[in-house]
Amino acid sequence: MSFELMIALSVGAAMFGTGLYGALSQTNLVMIIMGVELVLAAALVNLVAFWRYLHPDEPAAQMFVLIIMAVMAVEMTVGFGIAIARFRSRGSVEMEEARELKG
Amino acid sequence: MIFLALTLLAPLVAGLAILGLRRAPEALAIAGAGLGLIGALGMLVSVANGAAVQAELPGLPEMPLRLVAKPLTAVLALLVATVAGFVLVYATGYMAKDPEKPRFFGTMLLFVTAMQGLVLAGDWITLLAAWEVIGFASYLLIGFWHSRPGVAGAATRAFLYTRSADLGLYLGAFLLIGVAGTSEISATLATTGTPALISGLLLLVAAMGKSAQVPLQHWLQRAMAGPTPVSALLHSATLVAAGAILLIRTAPMLPAGALLAIGIVGGVTAVVTGLIALAERDLKRLLAASTSSQYGLMLVAVGAGAPVAALLHLIAHAAIKSALFLGAGVFQHDRDSTEMTDVAGVGRARPGIFAGFALAALALTGIPPLAGFFSKDAIIAAALTSPSALWLVPLALAGTVLTGAYMGRALQVLWNGDAGDKPGPIPRMAVGMAALVALAVVLGAAFGPLERLLDVEMAEAGLVAPALGLAAALSGLALGWLVPVARLLRGALPWAQTGFAVAGGMDSLVLRPALVIAARCERLEQRLLAAVRGLGQGALASARSARAVERRLYDAVLSFGHGNLSLADAARLTDTRGIDAAIFGFVERMVALGARARQLQSGFIHRELAITTVGVAAIIVALFAAPFLN
Repeated sequence: MSFELMIALSVGAAMFGTGLYGALSQTNLVMIIMGVELVLAAALVNLVAFWRYLHPDEPAAQMFVLIIMAVMAVEMTVGFGIAIARFRSRGSVEMEEARELKG
Repeated sequence: MIFLALTLLAPLVAGLAILGLRRAPEALAIAGAGLGLIGALGMLVSVANGAAVQAELPGLPEMPLRLVAKPLTAVLALLVATVAGFVLVYATGYMAKDPEKPRFFGTMLLFVTAMQGLVLAGDWITLLAAWEVIGFASYLLIGFWHSRPGVAGAATRAFLYTRSADLGLYLGAFLLIGVAGTSEISATLATTGTPALISGLLLLVAAMGKSAQVPLQHWLQRAMAGPTPVSALLHSATLVAAGAILLIRTAPMLPAGALLAIGIVGGVTAVVTGLIALAERDLKRLLAASTSSQYGLMLVAVGAGAPVAALLHLIAHAAIKSALFLGAGVFQHDRDSTEMTDVAGVGRARPGIFAGFALAALALTGIPPLAGFFSKDAIIAAALTSPSALWLVPLALAGTVLTGAYMGRALQVLWNGDAGDKPGPIPRMAVGMAALVALAVVLGAAFGPLERLLDVEMAEAGLVAPALGLAAALSGLALGWLVPVARLLRGALPWAQTGFAVAGGMDSLVLRPALVIAARCERLEQRLLAAVRGLGQGALASARSARAVERRLYDAVLSFGHGNLSLADAARLTDTRGIDAAIFGFVERMVALGARARQLQSGFIHRELAITTVGVAAIIVALFAAPFLN
């Protein structure tokens, strides 16, 4: 394991931790989504890092990256769509006030 | 053909119309009888002109029903129609107040139709049928006043007497049909030898029954129970005449033996019933006995081989006897009785009717120039020239003397006595009677043409026959008028008054056996009834036991069903308490589990996220730790 890989993984871990903390600690839906984005971005970093430093001659790994990016875009679209709808109907995106998802 | 149909159908249709409509019986009866008379007259004229009047109707296979009018039968048909017409005219007066008029006139016309059928029958089957209808109709008419005491018995007696003798006709007719192979009467008359003798004697038995010859004479006097017009018709041209007509029609076939038997039966009857008539205490019964006696004389003529003489006497007697009966009916109408003691002197109260009655009586006795003289003359002449003159002449002469005696006695009783009140007018009865008396007076003139029509030569015995006949008649009349009956008959009187009931008479020979048989039949029927009832009760009992068995079967099936039901109940219980309960319990526990799981759902995204995170972390840890645990 090279040193550069270790650095990339560390950055990814930091991003994951930050994103996780943000998703768990924030009450604003937008902020939660941003946390989730960070988690996903951390996963991207890790993937790219593993590809670059362990298997640079395998182009298939890049496919995963591209797919995750598409998923992030979609997820963001859906998440922000929900937020906008929420805001329009309730004037707020605070998740402490939103318990309608309770089963 | 038209006349033939008219003769037969006019009375029949009128009779049925009367019985069906039950109104205007007199008019319909006179119309029917009148049309029938026109038909008979036309028929006689056609036949006299040589035309063949006959009809053939479909009947039994190979044996069509034939109606034939020959000179003989056409003359008889005209006689029947004439007498019936006058009697019906008389009856419209006699029955004027009877509530059952339609029944009377309807039956009378039926009777006339049947008689015409008998006279015109061209085959034995038709003749038998007509014979039966005549017997039945006469039963109905004699028993017309069936609610009066003794009338039903008289009708039954007449029916049984004639019925038992009818067996002779059946046997004789079937014997003739069997021998000749055809039912046509004129063809069967060619029969000869023993079959002819046997069937001739059998036919004699039938004629004895119908014409009331000794020893079957008794029913006729009892038949006086019917209305007087019935008696007039019955005695003159219909029922009683049927027997003599049968013998006259079959006379060409009869062999010497049968003829002798017929002559002797007739002669004995003429004498015996003449004595009965002489001893009789009732005017109508006297006339009835006299009828038997006169038919006896006709049988003497047949027996002497001169059926035409018998026919002449039949014709003369028909007019005379119906006139006499109609006269007696008038007397009965006045005095409500025909007992000699009751009608004594009634002749003075009704001189017109008495004159008619007397004329008819003299005609019957045989006083010239009245009709009876010529016919009786013919009979005596026939007897004189016949081979069995030794037997027949004394009997015929005795019969003639007795005829004079009883008619003389009747006239004497009617004339000598208390005239009583002046009775009211009776126009219709008088018209009917006057016409018949006129016939009785002038018929003698018609005998000559009649003989030519029938194409026969009457036996000639010179002046002997008329002289003997006249002497006998006059002496009889004188005896009857002058000498009291008791002295005339002496010891024989009570015997004659009981109708010469030898050994109980035919009552014990015919009537009692028939009634005993009837009683036996009744008992048999009772027994049959009891048997049938027993059978029914047995069937009922078996039905009951079957019902019990069925009840038990039913119970068994029912309990089987109950068992099945409880089994099903048990199955259902297992179903509900076992399987269903298990399933429901499982479901309930699942629901409770779900409820508990729901408590995890807080609705707080953070919490959810946290749980997810912790869960994923736990999974990762587990995944990493698993290889090391092994």
